[in-house]
Amino acid sequence: MDLRERLRARFRRWLARRIPPARQVTLDQRRIFIFPSRVGFFFFACLLVMLLAAINYQNNMSYALTFLLATLFVVAVLHSYANLSGLTLRSLRAGEGFPGQTVPFTIGLACANRRGHHALWLGFEDDPQAVSVSVLPERATTVTLYREAGPRGPFRPGRLRVDSSYPLGLLRCWTWVDLDLVGLAYPRPRPYPEPLGADNGQPRGRPSPRPGEDEFFGLRDYRAGDRLRQVYWKGLARGQSLQSKQYADAAASLDWLDWDAFPGVDTERRLSFLCQQCLDLHRRGRRFGLRLPGNQLAAGAGDGQRDRVLRALGRFGAPARGDRGEGAA
Amino acid sequence: MKAAQQIPRNALAWIILCQVLLLAPHALRVPAWLLVLYLAAFGWRVQLYRDRLAAPARWLKLVLIGAAMAGIGWSYGSLIGLEPTVALLLAAYALKLVESVSRKDAYVLIFLGFFLLITEFLFSQDLLIVLYAVVVAWLLTTALVALHRTGEGFELAPARLAGVMLAQAFPLMLVLFFLFPRIGPLWNVPIRAHAAQTGISDFLRPGDVARLTQSTDVAFRVSFEGEVPRAADLYWRGLVMSVLEDDTWRSLRFFDLPPSQRRPAPVQTEGEPLDYSVIIEPTQQNWLYALRYARPRDGGVMALADYTLYSPAVLESERRYTVRSWPEAVIGQELDPWRQRLETRLPEGGNPQSRALAAELRAAVDSDEAYIDRVLALFREQPFRYTLQPPLLGAEPVDDFLFGTRAGFCEHYANAFAVLMRAAGVPARIVAGYQGGEINPMNGTVLVHQFDAHAWNEVWLAGEGWVRVDPTAAVSPARVEFGLETAVRGEGSFLADSPLSPLRYRGVDWVNALRLRYDALTYRWQSWVVGFDAEQQVELLGEWFGRIDAKRFIAVLLGAFGVVLAVVALSLLVRAGPRRDPVARAWGRLRRRLVARGLPVYAGDSPATALARARIAFPGSRVELDALADDFTALLYRPGAGGDLRQLRARLRKLRLRRRT
Repeated sequence: MDLRERLRARFRRWLARRIPPARQVTLDQRRIFIFPSRVGFFFFACLLVMLLAAINYQNNMSYALTFLLATLFVVAVLHSYANLSGLTLRSLRAGEGFPGQTVPFTIGLACANRRGHHALWLGFEDDPQAVSVSVLPERATTVTLYREAGPRGPFRPGRLRVDSSYPLGLLRCWTWVDLDLVGLAYPRPRPYPEPLGADNGQPRGRPSPRPGEDEFFGLRDYRAGDRLRQVYWKGLARGQSLQSKQYADAAASLDWLDWDAFPGVDTERRLSFLCQQCLDLHRRGRRFGLRLPGNQLAAGAGDGQRDRVLRALGRFGAPARGDRGEGAA
Repeated sequence: MKAAQQIPRNALAWIILCQVLLLAPHALRVPAWLLVLYLAAFGWRVQLYRDRLAAPARWLKLVLIGAAMAGIGWSYGSLIGLEPTVALLLAAYALKLVESVSRKDAYVLIFLGFFLLITEFLFSQDLLIVLYAVVVAWLLTTALVALHRTGEGFELAPARLAGVMLAQAFPLMLVLFFLFPRIGPLWNVPIRAHAAQTGISDFLRPGDVARLTQSTDVAFRVSFEGEVPRAADLYWRGLVMSVLEDDTWRSLRFFDLPPSQRRPAPVQTEGEPLDYSVIIEPTQQNWLYALRYARPRDGGVMALADYTLYSPAVLESERRYTVRSWPEAVIGQELDPWRQRLETRLPEGGNPQSRALAAELRAAVDSDEAYIDRVLALFREQPFRYTLQPPLLGAEPVDDFLFGTRAGFCEHYANAFAVLMRAAGVPARIVAGYQGGEINPMNGTVLVHQFDAHAWNEVWLAGEGWVRVDPTAAVSPARVEFGLETAVRGEGSFLADSPLSPLRYRGVDWVNALRLRYDALTYRWQSWVVGFDAEQQVELLGEWFGRIDAKRFIAVLLGAFGVVLAVVALSLLVRAGPRRDPVARAWGRLRRRLVARGLPVYAGDSPATALARARIAFPGSRVELDALADDFTALLYRPGAGGDLRQLRARLRKLRLRRRT
């Protein structure tokens, strides 16, 4: 087992040198491996039987057919290789998600020649699932593969296996490319305790009211997730439908998700609290910003802001990669 | 099962087509129920595809396999031999189709298909069969490609790719074919135990044959090194029949001969020898045909005591042998007393009228030669006629023939003649073989057909040895001079059984030319490809490479593979680059022309701006240049908006750049 692991590690290092990570890869002879498939060996066995028949019956046409098939196999080596050769793979989008979720990775495939690339099977290493795709001549297409997100932080789905036994199935032609895909796992949201100094950290005489509950503004239909305190019980008692009270600052007021709000809590836990907070605030449609050590996100609202915050939380503490892992490329 | 693992519809259609084509040439050889089995298998498989029927259960599969084996055993009487084996393979092929659901099964079906192609070659390596097999091999490869394509609709791309790949493999196949060492069989293999023997049979019983069946098949082809002798001299000896028992003539068996008589007596060769090679079609028999007096020139052919040639191995496939003959040599100069007794022996009693006639005629002349002439004169003068549809003969066949029916073909005359000779104590026997042949003007080979089969006599005369006498020639000289067709012209019975044979239409020039051309091709095919053996290989390779050694062979092999594969790789990888836009190409050409005429064209120029300058520089072609500018603009910037590439090209061709109006 140990030896196997060592060999594997060695192979990975060799592969990393031979096919270094790149966001775009065009397959060529450095990157393509080729070997007879199981079917190919079976074919060899059949050829052997045919050759024996030809020898024993001294039958020249049987010789000819056997040799034709044998040389067909030789020619198939070139055709199998040509099927992969020239294929351009590009990382288009790396997925993001909460730990344990399957996240999509989108890969662009482009064909620059007149033959096309047929019957390709794409999959990540260690993943038996593969997706079949063909690229038509001088066209491009995309493929989305899924991988389960790991613990918080950037994660690599591993090398991409591109595999094809086209055209005859006798040879397997494959490559391992590293498209430098980096997915991102957000923190796992956890229910958080009452934050310290919630309101911009300014001292106040009274316990600060919960965000969004300052001044009564109006009523709207109850939505799942609204607090019990927000529910307009009187209306319900009067036989009206279930409604929630809205407060004046719900749209206007600003909340800060603050690293310092949970002192004495370890990093991952703290990030989980902030994550839950972010989701809550987003659900309530509020504007919010994020303060992390060394990183501050200006306030905003909506899905975009949620994603920015989640991304910042997910990436917290990870080595900076510039903008490269930023998702949409 | 996952959809990705199933046989795609296209591949399935190709496979079924291949199965039909693979079965077709075997169809007449296998029992009829096997064809029904195939139909059932196709029906089941299609219903399986449409989800109307389930795949057979395991027990049902076992029952079907058992039933197929039992059926074949019952039809052929055994499971051993080439025919039952092939039938078994075909049955397995049909059944395999029904249970084939996944891609893996499809591989088995396709590879088994290739193997079945080989079994067809064991029955025939005819040029047409081989061409047919090439088509089937191509379709099988197409099925293999289709198996790996994902396209839903019907497409011809797999057929194209398969064709290209086979064409690329073909030259490499030729290299292997000629270089691969031809070694002998490694072990004994089942032979064609159920094939009908063709050609001459080893016994002769003229009274029983009411109608001579004529086959238009070619018996053998002969290629003479020198000039071809006259047709009337071409007596191809096959079998010598010396024993008459129960009104049946047969040849001597090896153990009938005393040991001292088993080898041919030495013959003094004289006169000009004839050198020729014969390619004989499979007969499932052992004897070979040659002109007298023949000596084999290659191994594997034995000369028998009666100066015929014999192949120790049954002729199961085409066979080529070379012979040298001395037509003028005397054979059997000395007649051993044992032979003397044998060749004059007649069964006790029977045919009293004939015996009396023989005694009477022999007494009237003073030598054996004169007696022969007298008997031949009898055939000539009495109203004997040559017919292919003779009446049946009774219990005393020779008496019936000589004094009753007086109608028959070669066997009747040879039989009657031999009996008359022996009755008078003259050693005589019957020779069976072929007489004549057709010279193919395309390549000078002599084509001997099955309907050229003939029987004649040999009579032993002191000092002259065995002399050929053909009593049929006395009755019907045309049979020997011009062949069977002329001899029976009045009767209209020539090839009455084969209305479609091209031989019947020899009168139609183009049919005849086509037939002869095809036969010349067949001869070439048989002598160079089908008959290519270790001997020819050594000769050919010695001729090509001077001397034969392994190092040189490997160098040639690798060199040939390297060259062919390099060409294939170039065509695959270099030529495969993206196609350049035809409009851009046309513009490039025009731009070069303009530059060559001194008009500057800048990198950023669009065709319209460059042509606007050109119409000032070449006022003589202003109209054409304007039209071209419009065309280019339409094609480049408004694709699909009515730009006409053909019109643009025509204009470019016609364009003359004129400075003056």
